[in-house]
Amino acid sequence: MNFLAVIPSAAKRSRTLAIFFCLIFGMALSVFAQPDAEFAKANQAFAQGHFKEAIANYETLIRDGQWSANVFYDLGNAYFRTGDFGRAILNYERALALERHHPEATANLQIARDEAHALELPPNWPERYLQFATINQYSIAAVVAFWLAIFGMATLIFARRRSATMIVISIGCLLVSGVAICSVYTLDRGSKGRALAIITGKDVQARLATADTANAVLALPSGSEIKVLSTRGDWIYAALPNNLRGWIPAKNAEQVRL
Amino acid sequence: MGRAFLIGITAGILTVGFAFADPPSVTAVLSNSEIVVGETVELQIKVTGPGDANPPEEISIDGLEIHATGQSRQFEIHNFSTSSSVTYNYTILPLKAGRFTIPPQTVRAGGSLLRTPALTLNVADSPGHLSNAQPSRGTQSQSVHASDLVFAELIVPKKTAYVGEIVPVQIRMGFDPRVRPRLVEAPEITGQGFTAQKLQESGQTSDTINGRPYDVVTYKTAIAAAHAGKFELGPVKAKAQVLVPRARSAPRPRSRSPFDLFDLDDPFSDPFFSNPFAQMGERREVEIKSEPVALEVKSLPPNAPPSFSGAIGNFTMLTDAKPKDVQVGDPITVTTEISGRGNFDRVNAPAVEDERGWHKYPPSSKFKQDDEVGISGTKTFETVLSPNEKKQTLPLLAFSYFDPIKEHYVTLRSEPVAINVQGGAAAPNVAAAQPASPAPATATRPAPTQTTVKPQDILYQLPDRGRTMESFAPIYTRRFFWVAQLIPLLVVLGFAAWKIRQAKIDNRETRRLAALHHEAADLMHKLRRNDASPREYYAEASRVVRVKTALASGSRGIDPNIVDAETAADTFKLNSDERDRLRRLFEQSDEWQYSGAHNGPGRISPENRHEVLELIENLE
Repeated sequence: MNFLAVIPSAAKRSRTLAIFFCLIFGMALSVFAQPDAEFAKANQAFAQGHFKEAIANYETLIRDGQWSANVFYDLGNAYFRTGDFGRAILNYERALALERHHPEATANLQIARDEAHALELPPNWPERYLQFATINQYSIAAVVAFWLAIFGMATLIFARRRSATMIVISIGCLLVSGVAICSVYTLDRGSKGRALAIITGKDVQARLATADTANAVLALPSGSEIKVLSTRGDWIYAALPNNLRGWIPAKNAEQVRL
Repeated sequence: MGRAFLIGITAGILTVGFAFADPPSVTAVLSNSEIVVGETVELQIKVTGPGDANPPEEISIDGLEIHATGQSRQFEIHNFSTSSSVTYNYTILPLKAGRFTIPPQTVRAGGSLLRTPALTLNVADSPGHLSNAQPSRGTQSQSVHASDLVFAELIVPKKTAYVGEIVPVQIRMGFDPRVRPRLVEAPEITGQGFTAQKLQESGQTSDTINGRPYDVVTYKTAIAAAHAGKFELGPVKAKAQVLVPRARSAPRPRSRSPFDLFDLDDPFSDPFFSNPFAQMGERREVEIKSEPVALEVKSLPPNAPPSFSGAIGNFTMLTDAKPKDVQVGDPITVTTEISGRGNFDRVNAPAVEDERGWHKYPPSSKFKQDDEVGISGTKTFETVLSPNEKKQTLPLLAFSYFDPIKEHYVTLRSEPVAINVQGGAAAPNVAAAQPASPAPATATRPAPTQTTVKPQDILYQLPDRGRTMESFAPIYTRRFFWVAQLIPLLVVLGFAAWKIRQAKIDNRETRRLAALHHEAADLMHKLRRNDASPREYYAEASRVVRVKTALASGSRGIDPNIVDAETAADTFKLNSDERDRLRRLFEQSDEWQYSGAHNGPGRISPENRHEVLELIENLE
């Protein structure tokens, strides 16, 4: 066996492997670093006053699935600077949908609403009381309470002596789970739920029927909130502020939750 | 019976009537006494009286061609007096101009000879040469004038108006019922300088105008002048197809009825209308046109109120608001109803007189008209107002219009509507909107290159991209959430399985202990019976000790078969005396068990038995 020939071959193979792993590592780094670069570029354009360029860069990030509350917040700021209050409000709402306690988005949303004179959907009374937690928190609370109740019941079933405390705890957990499920349903179907949409068009009129000539129900300033109830062709039927309902051209509104 | 009676009565009346009838008489008339060459005129000889008559078969006059064309008979009963008459018709065609005299004609009637009066006929070369030139009815009848069959009329109730003022207008279109009209083009008001609303048909009536019946269709609309000046409104034009008698290829004079004494110049005296099946009519398109109407339009006076939006008419205003108890920032829907008569297209939402402390949103409107053309009705506006601070009343709403009757501007103001606004200050400013907690460490303050910060400016950009989220969907809609539920599910199932297994184990131990208890009780019962041999007795006694030791061992689960004296003594924690006695018991048992005989007596003394029983019973 020619050992002299084997040794250089093994070294070559290990070197090739090292290069391969370096390449993979480099590619992975570049993949992770690319959104950050795009985001920095967008921020730089914003800082230089090139708001439309900044919007394009932020939108690219969003199209690539890089959804974060900060990206939507910054995009909302860029739209605000261009005077498009409707889309600014839309993106602040999206930031808040991803991160409920986003103080900057909350503040800027209020300012944009004031500027646009946008109408808001009033929450109903259950929503008003349930808003201290998010849908996700209620969901987790529901399952945790549910499993605790199940454990409690299992313990009761197999115990030789049934403890009253355990019975009370199990029933309590079941109740908590039920309330949490109802809360999830109420918030998800409520005014700020998954059907929430924002008017992005200007001088939008909600109408009684799906025709531009139909009687107007309500004039909706840009940035106003609506709740999409159904869609028919290019029109959406929506619940409006002031407890009204009407048809709006679909192109004039965008849903908050993508 | 009754029928025969009626026939008899009628025959009697006729007989009596004829008995008292007047003697026969004869008259002769010309349908027209002045005609031109080429036209025809009708001569009628009427013989009144009973019996047959023999009219002249031929009348010969130089320059006239006269032909008999037929006869008709009339029969009349007046107050039990009957009369009959026969009319003989002749057509006269003059061959030359001149004055012709038709001499008396002899007619035999009722056995007597009667003579007609002499008649004079003036024949001219052309119509202009006729003396006492009167339009020839015969010529008129050749073409029935459409103007006599249809008409249009434009009715404007006022002669002066203001710019933008709505003036109601009525159009009446009349059709002779016999022409069976079909409208081709709807009526249209021609003219410039005004706008007209859509024409609405408001009804159809039957009227008699100048003695002629007409079906009159009425249309309603409204006009508004665009600028001041003198206008000529109309004429109204329309096109319709009407049914008229078909024009004859050659002119043929229509004979005038000898009994048309009033000369009504009725185009429907044409035979077509009296007998439409005698000749086919034709549909002809006619243009219907009315007379124009003058209208003077004045400019609105200057110094219009600020809330004037061009409304002219007479209006009233009602205002209401809902809800009346709100928080600062909540919307209040203010409903304003403006009712009356005027140009509602220029009626805009009332103006808010003092907008301080209020935020006003664009209003919406709907109009409910009370008439066909929308001059009168109610226009309802819904305006959303949002208070920025505490308020007790709604701001006053003002609506101005120009009253064309009083000729001045009128401003309507809403009544003060009491409301209750609660809550804090106005909309938050930036300072209020700042987060209570410090901004995240990643957040940066505005860069110097940023736009100048205004009092209501937005907060800074965030340079950190933050945590990327996969979805906006709630957690419960995601797959991992439900997959994660497998963990507690498996835990619960494991717990249940463990518990079940434990129960099974416990159950087996219980059965074993129960068997040992049973065996111990059984052995004790045998020991107390006093009928066993020493070998059996000691074997059972040692077995009882083993069983009791196994039972006393509890969770250690000692097998009774491997229990010896020391183990039993340790288990029951016996003293040395008891331990010796127990040891002896086990030795004696072994002796009896393995040696097959005993050195002692064949029976166990009661003392020994008592001692053994006492020892065993004390093992607790």
